[in-house]
Amino acid sequence: MWSVLVSGLATGALFAATALVYNVMFSTSKVLSITTGHIAMLGGVFGAWFITALGLPWIVGLVGALVVGAAFGWLTDVLAIRRVLARSDEHLWLLSTLALATMVQQAVGLWWGTEPKPFPRLIPQDFGAGITDQKFWLPIVVAVAMALGLELFYRRTMYGKLFLAMSEDAFAARARGVPTDRIRAVSYVIAGALGALAGFAAGQLTFAYFALGLTLTLNGFIALAVGGLGSNVGALIGGAALGLLNAFSSYFVGGEFQQTISVGLLMLVLLLKPEGLLGSKNTRPV
Amino acid sequence: MIRAPKLLAGIALGAALSLSGSAAVAQTIRIGWLSSLTGPLSSAALAENQGVQLAVEEINAAGGILGRQIELLTRDTAGDPTKAVNFAQQLAFSDKVDFVIGPVNSGEGLATTPVLAKAGIPTMVIGSIDQLTDPKKYPRAFRVINTNTQWIGSANEYALKTLKRSKVAVIGDTTGYGTSSAKTAQELLDKADIKPVYNVLIDPNKTDLSDEMAKAKAAGADVVMPWSAATGLLGRLLNARGDMGWDVPVVGHPALMAAQIRALLNKPQYWENTFAAGYVSTTYDESGKLPARTQELVDKMRPRLGGKDIDVLFWWVAMGYDCVKIIEYAVKTAGSVDPAAVQKALENTPRYEGIYATYTWGPEQRNGFPDSNMAVNVANTFKDGSFKMAPR
Amino acid sequence: MKKKSAALLVVGLLAATLPFWAADQYQLHLAALIAAFWILIGGLNLVVGYTGQLSIGHVGLLAVGAYTFAILAGPEEVHPALAVLASGGLCGLFGLLLGLPSLRLPGFYFAMATMAVALIVGEFIMANGDLTGGGIGLAVPSFPAPFDSPAGFYYLVLGLAALVTWCTWNVARRMWGRGLIAIRDNPVTAQAVGVPVFRAKLKVFVFSGITAGVAGAVFASLQSYITPDTFVFELSLFFFVCIIIGGRGSIVGPLIGTMILTALPELVAPLAKLGNFFYGLLLLVVVLLVPEGIGRVFEVIAERLRPRRIESIPVRPDLDRLTRALQRPR
Repeated sequence: MWSVLVSGLATGALFAATALVYNVMFSTSKVLSITTGHIAMLGGVFGAWFITALGLPWIVGLVGALVVGAAFGWLTDVLAIRRVLARSDEHLWLLSTLALATMVQQAVGLWWGTEPKPFPRLIPQDFGAGITDQKFWLPIVVAVAMALGLELFYRRTMYGKLFLAMSEDAFAARARGVPTDRIRAVSYVIAGALGALAGFAAGQLTFAYFALGLTLTLNGFIALAVGGLGSNVGALIGGAALGLLNAFSSYFVGGEFQQTISVGLLMLVLLLKPEGLLGSKNTRPV
Repeated sequence: MIRAPKLLAGIALGAALSLSGSAAVAQTIRIGWLSSLTGPLSSAALAENQGVQLAVEEINAAGGILGRQIELLTRDTAGDPTKAVNFAQQLAFSDKVDFVIGPVNSGEGLATTPVLAKAGIPTMVIGSIDQLTDPKKYPRAFRVINTNTQWIGSANEYALKTLKRSKVAVIGDTTGYGTSSAKTAQELLDKADIKPVYNVLIDPNKTDLSDEMAKAKAAGADVVMPWSAATGLLGRLLNARGDMGWDVPVVGHPALMAAQIRALLNKPQYWENTFAAGYVSTTYDESGKLPARTQELVDKMRPRLGGKDIDVLFWWVAMGYDCVKIIEYAVKTAGSVDPAAVQKALENTPRYEGIYATYTWGPEQRNGFPDSNMAVNVANTFKDGSFKMAPR
Repeated sequence: MKKKSAALLVVGLLAATLPFWAADQYQLHLAALIAAFWILIGGLNLVVGYTGQLSIGHVGLLAVGAYTFAILAGPEEVHPALAVLASGGLCGLFGLLLGLPSLRLPGFYFAMATMAVALIVGEFIMANGDLTGGGIGLAVPSFPAPFDSPAGFYYLVLGLAALVTWCTWNVARRMWGRGLIAIRDNPVTAQAVGVPVFRAKLKVFVFSGITAGVAGAVFASLQSYITPDTFVFELSLFFFVCIIIGGRGSIVGPLIGTMILTALPELVAPLAKLGNFFYGLLLLVVVLLVPEGIGRVFEVIAERLRPRRIESIPVRPDLDRLTRALQRPR
């Protein structure tokens, strides 16, 4: 039973980290990007490539994966968001991020192959470690650290406060002299790096697999919706809830109804409390 | 619009061709090759493609079949059944091929077989799902690969008779192939009066299988039989077995022998005590030799596969090669490419010696692969495309 | 206007006489496939192109329609015409059940909900093997004469497609269509003006469900065998891209988009390999450069080549008369 709990928390931590990435991107651009899951996929795939194929030490591999994630985050902003936000049509960013997500998934599939490839062992540890295996606690530690780090970032640093200002009212921020375009680019770069870190930490759990992106986008979104948009603690709770639900349902019922149960959770929360457990009500005065 | 000019051109070309006389078209024997060279199962398709290409080149260099050269029309279906049906229609009606080989994926095959049957085109079936052949519904579809039942049957026989186990844990995955294979496995075990002690379908992307393996152990299983082609799942299963330190044999799908598995294992030892269904034609005997015909083909193929050690499952290559050779045999026996004559020729084939197997087809038997050519291999003995025989 | 209707008439004639001038059965099959897809895309166009509800999971509805038809017309031996109606009805109901909770959600939430439902449908199909054949799939019977020949079936699908096109065209050019566009571009204003936002969204969504069901039924019959592998997310993306590159807010645009995107991989073989990458790239390019769709590109080019001559009518007041009128005592 313990192993079900721990593996559920570990996958839940990956979902929670994705939800945190959603939050960071949403705070400055009010955009929920479909490419979020793919950032984690890139972190895992490139981390595996740097360490196994190029033979670099794992610290260098980690830095490399972060750089790739940050670059992809920046690319998302430049290609999919910047021009699109300038127009008044709010649905275009959904299309542009969907397009970019599809392109990156197919490109990685063509380059990396369609089979899951192994992710290397980061810290030397015996494989019989059971529930204390690093593949479980690495994602959990990273997700919690990310949430704490983001809270500190928002409260203590100037950039964090700028993010908060932009998420409250972008026009007012611009009127006060905040270069909103540049801040948004910075937030996407940070989000990219965080997503890659999450993917890298969870690599031993998921293997380096190109098709991870879309399922992670969906599951990360469910974690976000359950926990509440804009809340980091909510992201952790939502991710844990989803991960545990998945693990226990497949333990008791089997793998056939996985999606149904996850989406059932989403629908239930959306029907009862649409803004999530810890989110704020999204009303806009007109 | 785009359609009109192409169709007008098509009509013009068709008119020109028919006016220029049927002589030009009749010179070549056209073989359509539906292959998923990209997408899922592409590694199998690429290897089979090598075999097909070699056979076509060999035959053409020797003067063709009955004096006519073979023209191979390759269509990449990318694993999509809709595209497969489109290409099958194109090959049948637009290109008017004489034979079709493939498709590789069973899912695509289920969709294209009725189409080709309606068009009356003789087909070499290389998908393993049992429903792909039927002497009444698809009289001109002849299977070259073994059936799923044969895979499961030979593995079951090894587990039950040779290893003398009786408490079976059946593991499938939630894909189309996995669910149907798990079902067939249970039916075959049922016939042998064995009820599995543990039975589960797992999402191929599930990250950790230690719960399922723990449950199997708790249920008292003494052999684990996975029927999934997903290497990620199989790798995790072997890892779970090794991490728990459980010394149970794993006997199952040939994907257990795939080269990718080695990279996914936590420790190379985890691959021991693992057996998979395989073939006599790609098994080394006690003195380490392959059957003579296989060795001949290996030597011919080696320069085309990189010149060094072969790193693909060689039976795919052999099977692709055999498909073309069987077509050659059929045309020679029938004396023409007339579909009815070809069907009659193939229907009355008590014994055709190919490289992959020695085939037998009959008027009521469209599955040509004999049970006697099935073998069980030791999973971690991959060398140069073939495997060692499992100890008896 | 006259040119447009003349062009449409020519297209209609070409489509109606296709079996006579198509080179072979394969092209007839392709044309029938385009028509079957168009039945779904025509309905989806109202949801995505006009109302702006980005449903990326419509492949689930297609699957429900296809399997309903296959099960009813096959093992249950219901007459295919009734089975088609049943498919449409069931999918419409499904659309209603799906739309009621999700249409109130903001755009991204709705998109994710539809995607999730498509995945659930896939799981359901796999899990209920006894009903749906599971991984093996189901054989699908064809329609009775005169629709069982390729040309006959083509006419059936063409007829259904024409019906759907006529329905959507009527919606589009009347006030309803403008109301939908208003909902897409600015829901707050639309509500302020009195457009019943939620009810309109629900009605078009149910309509798109019905068309998806009918499309699924004829698609299944065309393929003659359906497996779960056919109904993957990439197909949803394909429908989506057809509408967007054709241009939102138009009927003809997505129709052309469908025709081009279905026929293109057949004509240009390397594209089959790149497949989804190509669709993604096309979508990105269109969204960034020409969000109004490819149709707009043609309009812009036409403007450049033959600019509309804007006649300026100078106003020349008769100053004398004006002066006299102003000086006249009241």
